[in-house]
Amino acid sequence: MSSHKYCDGIQRRDFLKAGALSGMGLSLGNYLRLAKAGDISDAKAKSAIFVNLRGGPSHMDTFDLKPESPEEYRGEFSPIDTNVAGMRICEHLPKLAQCADKYAILRGVSHSLAAHQLGTIYLNTGNRPNPALEYPGYGAVVSKKFERHDAILPPFVAIPNTAQAPGYLGVRYAPLQTRSVPAAGQPFSVRGITLGDGITLTDVERRGQLLNDVNRAFASAETNSELLDGLDQFRRQAFQMVSSPTAREAFDVSREPQESAERFGNHGFGQSCLLACRLVEAGVKFVTVSMGGWDTHQGNFPRLQGRDSSGKAVKVGKGGGGLLPQLDDGLSALFASLEDRGLLESTTVFITGEFGRTPKINDRAGRDHWSRAMFVLMGGGGIRGGQVVGASDDKGQGPAGDAIAPDDVAASFFHSLGIDHTHEFHTTTGRPVMIVREGKIIDRLFG
Amino acid sequence: MVRILVALAISVSIGATVFAGDVLKPISQRLPSEVSDTQISFQRHVVPLLGRTGCNGRACHGSFQGQAGFRLSLFGYDFAADHEALVGIKAKPVTYKNGKPIKKKPVKKRKKKSSPIDNSYPRVNLTNSRDSLILKKPISADDHEGGARLKVDSWQYRLLQRWIEDGAIDDTDTHARMERLEVLPRELFFQTPGDSIELRAIAHWSDGMKEDVTELCRFQSDDPSVAKVDETGKVTSLRKGDTHIATFYDNGIATTQSILPLSDQNGDNYPDVPQPTQIDQLIVAKLRSLGILPSELCTDSEFLRRVSLDITGTLPAPAEVLTFSRDTVANKRERKIDELLERPTYAAWWATKLCDFSGNSGNFQDPEFAREYARQWYEWIFRRIQQNEGYDKVVRGILLATGRSQGQDFAGYNAQMSSYLKSDSDADFATRDTMPHFWARANISLPKEKALAFSYSFLGVRLQCAECHKHPFDQWTKQDFAQLSAFFEPVGFGTPGPDRERMEEMIKAINPDYGTGKGKKGGFPYRTDLVQEGKVVPFREVYVAVSDDDRRYLYGRISKKNRKPSGLTAKLLGDAEVDVKKFSDPREPLMDWMLDKDNPFFTRAFVNRVWASYFNVGIIDPPDDLNLANPPSNQPLLDYLTTEFRQRGYDMKWLHREITRSRTYQLSTRANGTNRQDTRHFSRAVPRRLPAEVAYDAIQQATSRKTDIDKLQTAVDGRVIGGNDIAQYRKYRRINENYGLAVLGKPSRTENCDCDRSNEPNLLMTLYLLNDGEMLNTINRSDGWISEISNRLGQSVRTFAAQIKTKKGKVKSPVKQDRASTQKAIVKLETKIKLLEKKGQSEQAATLRRVVAVLKAKTGIATSAGPTESDPPQSKPNPGAKPETPDDLIAQAYLRTVSRQPTSDEVARARQYIAESRNTAEGVRDLLWALLNSNEFLVNH
Repeated sequence: MSSHKYCDGIQRRDFLKAGALSGMGLSLGNYLRLAKAGDISDAKAKSAIFVNLRGGPSHMDTFDLKPESPEEYRGEFSPIDTNVAGMRICEHLPKLAQCADKYAILRGVSHSLAAHQLGTIYLNTGNRPNPALEYPGYGAVVSKKFERHDAILPPFVAIPNTAQAPGYLGVRYAPLQTRSVPAAGQPFSVRGITLGDGITLTDVERRGQLLNDVNRAFASAETNSELLDGLDQFRRQAFQMVSSPTAREAFDVSREPQESAERFGNHGFGQSCLLACRLVEAGVKFVTVSMGGWDTHQGNFPRLQGRDSSGKAVKVGKGGGGLLPQLDDGLSALFASLEDRGLLESTTVFITGEFGRTPKINDRAGRDHWSRAMFVLMGGGGIRGGQVVGASDDKGQGPAGDAIAPDDVAASFFHSLGIDHTHEFHTTTGRPVMIVREGKIIDRLFG
Repeated sequence: MVRILVALAISVSIGATVFAGDVLKPISQRLPSEVSDTQISFQRHVVPLLGRTGCNGRACHGSFQGQAGFRLSLFGYDFAADHEALVGIKAKPVTYKNGKPIKKKPVKKRKKKSSPIDNSYPRVNLTNSRDSLILKKPISADDHEGGARLKVDSWQYRLLQRWIEDGAIDDTDTHARMERLEVLPRELFFQTPGDSIELRAIAHWSDGMKEDVTELCRFQSDDPSVAKVDETGKVTSLRKGDTHIATFYDNGIATTQSILPLSDQNGDNYPDVPQPTQIDQLIVAKLRSLGILPSELCTDSEFLRRVSLDITGTLPAPAEVLTFSRDTVANKRERKIDELLERPTYAAWWATKLCDFSGNSGNFQDPEFAREYARQWYEWIFRRIQQNEGYDKVVRGILLATGRSQGQDFAGYNAQMSSYLKSDSDADFATRDTMPHFWARANISLPKEKALAFSYSFLGVRLQCAECHKHPFDQWTKQDFAQLSAFFEPVGFGTPGPDRERMEEMIKAINPDYGTGKGKKGGFPYRTDLVQEGKVVPFREVYVAVSDDDRRYLYGRISKKNRKPSGLTAKLLGDAEVDVKKFSDPREPLMDWMLDKDNPFFTRAFVNRVWASYFNVGIIDPPDDLNLANPPSNQPLLDYLTTEFRQRGYDMKWLHREITRSRTYQLSTRANGTNRQDTRHFSRAVPRRLPAEVAYDAIQQATSRKTDIDKLQTAVDGRVIGGNDIAQYRKYRRINENYGLAVLGKPSRTENCDCDRSNEPNLLMTLYLLNDGEMLNTINRSDGWISEISNRLGQSVRTFAAQIKTKKGKVKSPVKQDRASTQKAIVKLETKIKLLEKKGQSEQAATLRRVVAVLKAKTGIATSAGPTESDPPQSKPNPGAKPETPDDLIAQAYLRTVSRQPTSDEVARARQYIAESRNTAEGVRDLLWALLNSNEFLVNH
């Protein structure tokens, strides 16, 4: 038999390799039951949406404005009141201002990795990057913890892609990447799931029957192979995804009632948020939405608000105007839509970039990388919205008081899903590694 | 009642050593009567007892956070720390200056631990031993979170008490070393479930002392459903099968095999079974004791498919399948093996495997040329496998490599490296004697990371555990690991001291801002364009630091914390210490040690890995986990292969030939009544999933048009096993860009584990194969078999892939993209040739024609004006072609994918499906799709 031995002396058997000469080796069925079990508590959230603002959004111009700071710091935008007293955000986020009760703003989140790739890994795993070990992204951890083999949708979908790799957990927990973003009112194709033009369900089922026939000859000749059982199992699940209308319709944003679809905005980011919403509704456990363009080394203000000083429109991204109006449309509609569907309490929404931007404006009217102070938004999933947690100093240069580490944000995020962040997985070589080693849960986010 | 048949030879030796009377009785029996003259030893008794009672386990005080402030080293063996934890750290004297105590700057701590470890106060009470915490706590269920572990006045209690009363002394510095842990019996043959026997463990110490330590050992059954072992060492057989019991004491580990035969056909009742080769004889000898009968020989078509995939990573071509089945020569299987070993695909597939083992991840400290280095690495190994160079020499070329060849100066090195990267250069990296990229990887910049990579790649030993604590399943301690790491301290990547100034000059000549700290602008310059033009550009290098200055520099680059060498003496794993200063390269003594005929790792690890790739599991399994608690399933077999391989000059082709010629390799997957559950003793073939690269290539091959398919059988160009995917790495980044390969489980090669390659099924993989646009377009591609049929029959085949747009356009398969663009170029050139000929410029036309010929040969494209990617499939019937019946096409589809003729039943079903389809071409297309998704295709069987 083959048992895997771990550094901590625990034995584990791989379900595909189990049982030399053993009639009682861990069967696939047993394995699946064990996998379903997991230590899932009575946490409110059952799924999550992670919005990655690639490039590092300026905290000073979004959710952490410093109107009292010197001109070369505070920038061109003014804060406005929100529907929560004392919580103020940027004037170019008016829709988000009207639903501030839905999310908490974390300010003074701080780390020391001001390079895109390193910062991105940190914020997408909750662990400081380590060249010798690839940590799994949030989505891979959630996929593993919430693994189900009767699901008709993959547990982890990335729109259109993500920096969250499965790491040491292995390809089995990799995301399905859509590779493109949906456009408003258009049918949306997803690799592996969408059927070709003119291909009907009858065609698919007919082909499926052919496949079953072809497979039968070999199946009867072979006995006792967990590999073949596993292939059959995953093939059935995949076939169900392809043939089930639920899965395909979930991806098709053109099926969304027009009124609901419109509030997300007629741009790639907004429609991605809509898709995320539909996928969670259909049973996907973890969706990432990625939005680029935040690396505003120059022309920070026009890019954010969508017009330059002369009033000319500046476009960023697919079908979009400025970054802030797109963000405003997409996120406000995401919160509203999740609530309409009764999913806000059971879905944690987590919005972050890889770092903040330099509080002092540079000579190209831009802001550069700044990891000592950044913001994170969290909402839904039992998180108490309408509050600001943590603070940055008077010029937004660093945390005022205790810093919030990305590890703490990660621990809190997992906590909202009922996942113990100190739980240990084993790497392929048997080393036990905590999901988030350094983090501590930010209690104020809950209750 | 208990009938135990102990292996005869072993039982004789038991009699000789155990009952000779020179073995000290168990310590429990020597207490209290002999208490006055019995020394309780910290190393021999106290620490093992703490292990046995579970005190230093991970859930208890062995946790790195300790438990209730008390921390022991995990699994023991850090005697000094454990002793300190028990007797308390002496308070450090306060230093005074000018009469005032010097205050140390408060150290800023990142996080407060909820339960700080406090080893400053004693857990033993020397004046009142019964008042010691280590006695009070474990007897109390209420006051001890771990519950009651000891009974008052039990021998364990009295042992600890006695040790305290004697002064709680740490005797490890003066104590003899343990030489060997002997556990008896070594083999248990049970007859009936429920039978049991007690194990006995004797520790042999270097001063000649022998002591019965059974009661101080930990025991573990590898498969507790076959045989269980309790904490006293009593083994009980539970059901038919075999497993082994590991016994742990101090840093010794011994294993005992436990067998309850699978059938009555064992021993003398075993029937005659064919065993034509040495391998077969050794396998059958084992099966005989287990009562397992081997399966029948596999069929010719099964053999051909299996051996082609295993040796060459390639499916047999349809024509080859037919020829082989018709061949009536008696030794045709041997001849096929010899033929396969001569194909370039053999070198390609095994170069891919050796890139796995050696960790060719594309993750380099000089990332600008990552894909070029990865490619060089692959080609360097490819060349050696093709020339059948000895495995020892291949490893020597990697292990002892430095950037410069012997006597080469700085300028010469840069000129040489630049020459490899020049566009259309003739210089071939693969002809170099050494391949230094192994040491230039970004994920092994620290000495300890090098030690991990080294032991994984060349010894098949996993040392990760010993980085932080005593290895729980092997003899390795933290000290062993640190001393192995010491070999690699002087091995670095950068520029050695004397040339550093010139390096900077060269860099500044390209980038004047270098070193000014202006972000990207001040960094290492971009050299690609220059080097392609043929300029000489600077390269950092793998070198061995000779001077102390260099070594400090090396460390400074790695980490501020590690600025100085450890000062540890290097020590070979489980062997002698080495003064590395006597060697110009500290890796030399390592290489010598590996090649020693008594080295237990180097040769075994490779032989075992090769075996594992033919049989799904190694003789030791996992194949890269050679440890004392993981014994081989067939020791004589592993010994035989290891010895022969070494004596035959590490001849890799011999090893492949020896394995594949055996009847054992050629057994069927079909089980009989005795071997249905066997996966470890090689009594039948076990279905294995095609590895990612092989599966990806096989899909391309099975869907290619008739004229190409025979060529692909031996072609390496454009194949993933030919390293083609490396060309797709993004510059500066090592990312598995190819989605198909990623979901099929291609390894990242960064993990120091053979298991990095995933051969498990997964959901994204099945989705990819069933319905991914890339997969479906590959089947439907315009230069593929289906388009060929569609053209010939004049029947259109609709696309069945969803058209997914990406930023770069439609989804295309990489191989196809490559070919499509070459095809386009060829079409353009041919038009130009015609034009030139019309104008009468025949000389120029001839030149161009030669270019076209080269292009065609390179990509294996036969027809010149084939349809290009953007062309719709042509629907004009081709009158010249011989008509093929649907039955012919069905047979072709089976031969292409599962390498056999369909049965009459399969033909009938497929015929009916095709008849019900829109047209024949589309019906065959669906059949091909179904076959590519079938288990029979995806599995090597």
